[in-house]
Amino acid sequence: MNCENIREQLPECLAGRLGESAREHLIEHLETCSGCRGELAHLGIVWRGLEALKLEAEPGPAMKDRFQATLAAFEAGLEQGRKVAVARPAPSRRVPPRWAWQLAAGLAALAIGLVAGRGLAPRPSVSPEIAQLQGQVESLHQLVALSLMQQQQSPASRIEGVNYAYRMTQPDPQVEQALLYAASHDSNVNVRLSAVDALERYVADPNVRRALPAILAAQDSPLAQVALIDLAVKAKDRDCASALRRLASRREADEAVRQRAQWAIDQLGIEGESR
Amino acid sequence: MVEDEQIMRQVRDGEVNRLEDLFDRHHRALLHYFLHLTGDRAASEDLVQEAFFRVLKYRRSYQTENTFRAWLFQIGRNAYLDHIGRRKNEVAWPAEAPEAASPDAAPDRLMEEKQETALLRQALSEMPPEKREVLVMSRFLELKYEEIAATLQCEVGTVKVRVYRALHELGDRFFALRGEPMS
Repeated sequence: MNCENIREQLPECLAGRLGESAREHLIEHLETCSGCRGELAHLGIVWRGLEALKLEAEPGPAMKDRFQATLAAFEAGLEQGRKVAVARPAPSRRVPPRWAWQLAAGLAALAIGLVAGRGLAPRPSVSPEIAQLQGQVESLHQLVALSLMQQQQSPASRIEGVNYAYRMTQPDPQVEQALLYAASHDSNVNVRLSAVDALERYVADPNVRRALPAILAAQDSPLAQVALIDLAVKAKDRDCASALRRLASRREADEAVRQRAQWAIDQLGIEGESR
Repeated sequence: MVEDEQIMRQVRDGEVNRLEDLFDRHHRALLHYFLHLTGDRAASEDLVQEAFFRVLKYRRSYQTENTFRAWLFQIGRNAYLDHIGRRKNEVAWPAEAPEAASPDAAPDRLMEEKQETALLRQALSEMPPEKREVLVMSRFLELKYEEIAATLQCEVGTVKVRVYRALHELGDRFFALRGEPMS
């Protein structure tokens, strides 16, 4: 064995991971080679010195909490996917998804609050100070939404960002772009789903309608595909025809997705048009 | 104790909640891997979450020819590469050196150890990232060469050469900083 082969074994030797036979060969070589002995001595100083650079940082409990939250959300998504897969689509009697109930409940609560507020409060027009405050709150929501939706944030934070987008009373072009990006590119399917849901309020915007076909075509999650199909129907977006036809006819696509795409084709009246 | 690979097969086959056991076993090592590469605690914690999320996402692609740990680090490495792809060259070595000198060492010796550790830290921080990475895997995470090979998707022989060359280069840099060139 030459010096080069021997030296390549020195890190394993220093780590105590060298097999018995290889170690014997190495010792035999070192006894007669001062160059390799010197190399071992120098590398040994560095190897032992690295011990001081080992990190002892302990993960905080929040890490486990975040993981458990992600796992629970993922399992819930799988369960929902299974339900979607076994249920035949019945568009006319379709039960709205849970987020819709939550949104409806939120809106109802908001409406009750507004009505109650109006009943209790004097009814002059909104003062400039209140209007300014409302504007500041709106700006804050926009800022938080955009900040949390950035990709370097955790998935949970990005979902929170989408929720802030919900809280905005007025559609905002920057938030709309962030939602489109999240719906299209976010690595986390739950974030993509939330973003698709949040895009519903922007559905009348031509920018969203133009972007929908590409987002739908690029989507690989059945859950997100179904959500996007529903959004395309709500938007009455016939530009999605090609993407919908591809999904409806693709054998490897999820069965529920194929059926939903076919339903959307029927709803949008694009059946039979040339491709 | 049930082997990682057996648990991962269960995860792959639908029992995704079993991934919690693997998280408990490996998230600390993965956190240290990212900390060594980024020097950023918050980013490292996010990367751990991202890596385990990707395990869930790509669970069906898990093959049993490599250890789960090697597969996890491969996924983690990809998450890290995506991360630095987004952040360009913001990769830094931790600024604060951990205390490593023995508490009963003489003051002079203590000072000398601190200085040497600081020089070694500087030398390591100046290494090219790919060389620093193999040292982190081999020295700090104590991954087997087979696992490093699976993570880096190269041959075991290549890992052996890379680790040696990286250690040799680190030595060159360290001794040069000390004013006594090694080779």
